[in-house]
Amino acid sequence: MQEHQISKADFEACMKCNICTEVCPMYEVNPLYQGPKKSGPDAERYRLKDPAFFDSNLKFCLNCKRCETACPSGVKVADIIQMAKLKYSSSTHPLRDTALSSTDLVGSVASVFAPAVNFALEQEVASKAMGLLGVDSHSVFPKYASEKFVTWFRRNARKSQDSFGSQVNYFHGCYVNYNNPQQGKDLVKILNACNVGVKLMKGEKCCGVAMMANGFRDRAAANAASNVEMFSKVDGPILCTSSTCAFTMRQEYPEVLGVDNSKVKDSIMLATKWLFEEVESGRIRLAFRQDFRMKVVYHIPCHLQRLGWQMYSIALMRMIPGLTLAVPEQECCGIAGTFGFKKEYAGYSRKIGSKLFENLRSANPQVVATDCETCRFQIEMGTPFTVMHPLAILAEALDIEITKELNETDN
Amino acid sequence: MKYDICIIGGGMSGTKAGVALLSRKKRASVCILSAGRTLNPTSREEFKRLGGDIFDNCRAVSSVMGENRVQAVVTDNDIRVEASAFVLSTGKFFSRGLLSDMDGVYEPVFGADVEFEADRSAWSSEDFFDPQPFESFGVRTEGSRVLKDGNVIENLYACGEILCGVVDVDKSVREVCRNIR
Amino acid sequence: MKEYDVIIIGGGVTGAGVARDCAMRGLSTLLLERGDIADGASGRNHGLLHSGARYAVNDPEGARECIVENRILRHIASGCVEQTEGLFITLPEDSLEYQAQFVGKCRAAGIDAKAIDPKEALRMEPSVNPSLIGAVVVPDASVDPFRLVSANILDARLHGAEILTRHSVEGFIKEGVTIMGVKARDLSTGELKQFRAHYTINAAGIWGAGIAAMAGVRIGMLPAKGSLLVFGHRVNNMVINRCRKPSNADILVPGDVVCVIGTTSDKVPFEECDNMKVTPEEVKLLLEEGSKLAPGLASTRILRAYAGVRPLVADDSDPSGRSVSRGIVLLDHAKRDGIYGLVSITGGKLTTYRLMAEMTTDLICEKMSKNVRCTTALEPLPGSKGVRPSGQGLGSLAAFHRHGEDESKMDKDSEVLCECENVTRAEIAYAVRELGVKDMNDLRRRTRIGMGTCQGGFCMKKVAAALSEELGDGSKAEEFEMQYARERWKGMRPVMWGETLREAEYMRKMHAKK
Repeated sequence: MQEHQISKADFEACMKCNICTEVCPMYEVNPLYQGPKKSGPDAERYRLKDPAFFDSNLKFCLNCKRCETACPSGVKVADIIQMAKLKYSSSTHPLRDTALSSTDLVGSVASVFAPAVNFALEQEVASKAMGLLGVDSHSVFPKYASEKFVTWFRRNARKSQDSFGSQVNYFHGCYVNYNNPQQGKDLVKILNACNVGVKLMKGEKCCGVAMMANGFRDRAAANAASNVEMFSKVDGPILCTSSTCAFTMRQEYPEVLGVDNSKVKDSIMLATKWLFEEVESGRIRLAFRQDFRMKVVYHIPCHLQRLGWQMYSIALMRMIPGLTLAVPEQECCGIAGTFGFKKEYAGYSRKIGSKLFENLRSANPQVVATDCETCRFQIEMGTPFTVMHPLAILAEALDIEITKELNETDN
Repeated sequence: MKYDICIIGGGMSGTKAGVALLSRKKRASVCILSAGRTLNPTSREEFKRLGGDIFDNCRAVSSVMGENRVQAVVTDNDIRVEASAFVLSTGKFFSRGLLSDMDGVYEPVFGADVEFEADRSAWSSEDFFDPQPFESFGVRTEGSRVLKDGNVIENLYACGEILCGVVDVDKSVREVCRNIR
Repeated sequence: MKEYDVIIIGGGVTGAGVARDCAMRGLSTLLLERGDIADGASGRNHGLLHSGARYAVNDPEGARECIVENRILRHIASGCVEQTEGLFITLPEDSLEYQAQFVGKCRAAGIDAKAIDPKEALRMEPSVNPSLIGAVVVPDASVDPFRLVSANILDARLHGAEILTRHSVEGFIKEGVTIMGVKARDLSTGELKQFRAHYTINAAGIWGAGIAAMAGVRIGMLPAKGSLLVFGHRVNNMVINRCRKPSNADILVPGDVVCVIGTTSDKVPFEECDNMKVTPEEVKLLLEEGSKLAPGLASTRILRAYAGVRPLVADDSDPSGRSVSRGIVLLDHAKRDGIYGLVSITGGKLTTYRLMAEMTTDLICEKMSKNVRCTTALEPLPGSKGVRPSGQGLGSLAAFHRHGEDESKMDKDSEVLCECENVTRAEIAYAVRELGVKDMNDLRRRTRIGMGTCQGGFCMKKVAAALSEELGDGSKAEEFEMQYARERWKGMRPVMWGETLREAEYMRKMHAKK
């Protein structure tokens, strides 16, 4: 009795120490936002009494989860806020929010007409139209690839995957599929060199994070349920290259959407974690090019930090002999998924990012490494640097031929 | 993940121990598992400058034991850290180095021996401003090494507020550094 | 020396109600309270506005009184009452036959009790124990006792009554067999004062026995301690009762932003009434039984424990003094004991305080040959006339929930000082200005300051400084802070494990530095 005082999202455990308020990037730049403690555990008590205590300024919460990362009590502060938003608020930009949240649907249309869409995205008319729609006109919208990752995979990779010593599943996510297939190709390249085959899962749906952020709880929950069902049918690890997809499917499915993922949660992991553990245990061996040189600053995405798995990306990059790595204290880039693309928030988004941009400029690296696609958009918009996924750097640094030899099975 | 020394708890005593250890043993690999945010930026920065790794947002929740030795600790987000020596510096109740329920006080990662009053009404004093018995609850040690079921865990050291009795944090950190070979 | 029509001893809900009624009927009225209003049992109960259902089987008259008063208070005290409705649930170990009898007795007492499908009960109140086999909906409600007392006091003052807190009655001015007034010590100055009145009304709850003794009158009272636990948030939105013979820990009441389980019932010696302690056994029992009503309680943080004393009155007709009279006890000591000018009002329930006041004031008016009708059942109390807050933001909305239309008397856009309970600096200023606040505990009873999750750990320094400034004496801040820490500590100690122990350690680090 009373062993675990664990009411929903652990909000009873809040000791009111306010560390979350201190680390909240939105609270720092926006006086309208009350900060995570007041918006989350404090106000939740009052909302339970009367929904009139719902404060519409909760819309400013980035859901960056820095509050949860900082909390000494394990309170899921941001989850409490997200759940309140999903329960009490309604969108003021229904069309725009539907579009931004449908990363898969919009992506699949856009990629068919990729050159045209990309051209349009660059034009002033489009920028104005997006402005009317409520999309920030200064934002550079991510470009769409002409060949989806899954199409490339089917044409160029699928057949050979069974020939490798073992197999893993890959949850590519919307970004890899529509915007940056190269990231998926890099993973396939690395793993194949390590004698590991990659399998895509039939029926993969968008993880749902953008839907949640835009208030479409039911659609997100339907995707979650479908993905969990799909995961339960496959064997072996399910790797993600997107830290946000992994975070969403591991943590947010049960905690925000109420979708039970307990049977598959342990299988869902970041490709960086899986790869590092394979290397550390000696099951996989990596060889790197002698001529590779790169000066890298690593930006830890907020959601990766929330997962607590940042050290795996760092450790992998440290294995590369010619790479010099700097890891500054973690800062939020400010984009928060689709948040920074919205007209009414873009100013805050840039203001939050400015500290990170400043740090990056003073470090002046050749490449900024980060695991998150939207951090990448933001850093590309705010700085002159090339941004790469740690695995993309690894793929470039890897000596494919020697790695293949090292991992060939004897039998 | 493999390190020479793994410090569990990134508060005041943990980061101080980290700095002290790295200053003495320059070649050692040392990491800190830190739940929540470490509040002492100075020793945090110093620890990183000396080459230490901080696992932010990683709370140790369980341990893998061998013959009176800790082989590894496992965090709430499935990170397994192996090391030759471990330092327990998770603090008392606020930081959850100690957990309590209606019936007792526990050390959650190792199930270490904890000194506390059996009668719950004796945990606190009537007057807020009097010394509070719960403030001297903590794990039992022998030469800074933690006891479990009365036996010394050979490679688990403790410092800071997690210790029972009246604690001098700096002294306990120095002792741990001296005792870890 | 001024001679009042009436002096009322005791600033609990009964005394406050009597003061209001007397003042509204044009009597010159003085109320003396040794501590602060709602300091005793009035501030240490469930905060349940009974429908009467709980009494229907054993005390039909009490039940009838409750339902009538319940309807009146929903109207006149709408700012203090939350129309939550209540459930009486039958668990597998209880009997459905009792439920049938219960529904019949409720209806006979005029209480609208309706048996519903257990599934329907779960839908209405999702926190209820899902293994229930029967459920009855009754018009129970939640009432904030602090607000109710404060509103009665405020209205009494608005009608001309004088209210003196921190005035402890030490004796009577007695001429022969007639009480001519009281001697009371002003506890803030130490001065012994005399107040004269035609009639003195003893409304001091369990302490009324001692008051009567000073007049040479014996009232047999049996102090019965009732312990309760406050949880960190609202687990339930309806009152949940066990449908069985009234027993320990069988009522869970949502009150403002928390919920309260209670009670136990144990006879205690008079000496303990001023300093009651909740024992570990009581805590265990409350939790065990409470979790049967709403299993969620087992995983919800407990903020504190407290205990009140029921002023049970020995039945005058039983010479052994063992049997207890039910319901309202109005004693005309002239008739009963040959002591003139003194009336005692006791027994009764929080829900029936207004009726008790009406009966008492009727008696006084009759004695004074004043023919004025009681209007307390018709006139809404202050704070119960509001429609919506005048200010923006959560602070204003919370203040509106606490003070109704009087929220408009507070400065706008004021800084929130108590973040758990959304109490602004302006609300503190208002409470000092209009509600007779003299220290931190008074302030808590008027505003909920420090009643939330952190029990004041986060805000007490700021609040103590603000309060001493508002009182015009900046030097009191530290004393206030210490007073508050000690008071909160007392309630936290019985439940000091888990999250409460963490909070305690943190509070010590913040406020107990040597």
